[in-house]
Amino acid sequence: MRVKKKSKAETEISTTSMPDIVFLLLFFFMVSATIKTEEEQLKVTIPKAGALTKVEKQFLIRELHVGFPRNQKLGSAPKISAGGKLIELNSLSNWVQEQKTSLGEAYGDQMIVLLRAHEEVDMGIIGDIQSELRKNNARKILYRTLEES
Amino acid sequence: MIRFKKPRPEPKVSAGSMADIAFLLLIFFLVATTLLQDKGLMLQLPPDVPPTETEIKNRNLFKIRINSKNQFLIEGEIAADLQNLKSDLIDFVLNPDANPSLAESPEQAIISIKTQRGTSYANFIEVLDEVKEAYYTMYGDRVGISSREFRNLDRKVPSQNELYLAGREGLPMNISIAEPDKIN
Repeated sequence: MRVKKKSKAETEISTTSMPDIVFLLLFFFMVSATIKTEEEQLKVTIPKAGALTKVEKQFLIRELHVGFPRNQKLGSAPKISAGGKLIELNSLSNWVQEQKTSLGEAYGDQMIVLLRAHEEVDMGIIGDIQSELRKNNARKILYRTLEES
Repeated sequence: MIRFKKPRPEPKVSAGSMADIAFLLLIFFLVATTLLQDKGLMLQLPPDVPPTETEIKNRNLFKIRINSKNQFLIEGEIAADLQNLKSDLIDFVLNPDANPSLAESPEQAIISIKTQRGTSYANFIEVLDEVKEAYYTMYGDRVGISSREFRNLDRKVPSQNELYLAGREGLPMNISIAEPDKIN
């Protein structure tokens, strides 16, 4: 007597849930990311360090970039930029006050300035920025660095 | 004669291309966005008040100087590299053998980093990193965890916050950043 062969089990993986998975990923990136608004005007390669700490209150962070201009016409001296715009050292205190106001009275003094500086800039400009920050009572500074592998 | 109606095919929207559309959107957002980066070396700058004269004993001050040629001067000695800096710092702050030339007590120990105009930012960060790492190692040692584990403690969790406070108690991170000197 011939035993009837069992029909082979289907081996195909269902792909119907693929769009769901992709949408999930999409929403994750949409929520956790901020859109690059302006083309970066400065070339910034940040240094590496090991003893990194994380900021818990991310909304306190305001970013400053220090680097060399990409556009040759602007010269080769390091420049400061905030929010995609180049700013001069003497208008830095205006910027600090604006940012502090945007945080509101309760958090203004807790503002953290994230300094994203090119590793080859010299300490002169960094010192100038620090003294401007001190004058405006924005004393928390975070030197942005990459994690050493 | 009975005529059987042919079952009408239901209008269907093909969902097969849904994945492609979603992938396209996903790739767009991947390319167009940057994640907020919030890791780095945190430092508190001193308030902007006219400097007051306070006497600090020389033994309580650990001086690190970096000149415009990016050479290191650590406690008056030229250092070629920063290999021993971390262990020197820990010895200086804790001073386990009560050496009269090292810090009187961990609270009084101050690490002073001074740079010049012309010092590269990378070197400054390298030194600051070593100093911070030394402190985090000390904090971690006190509660029996590594420096990395200490840095990653989540202060919102009560048990971890306890460890954090226990590690830091009576051992403040006194790092002084002097304004860069002008080149003579």
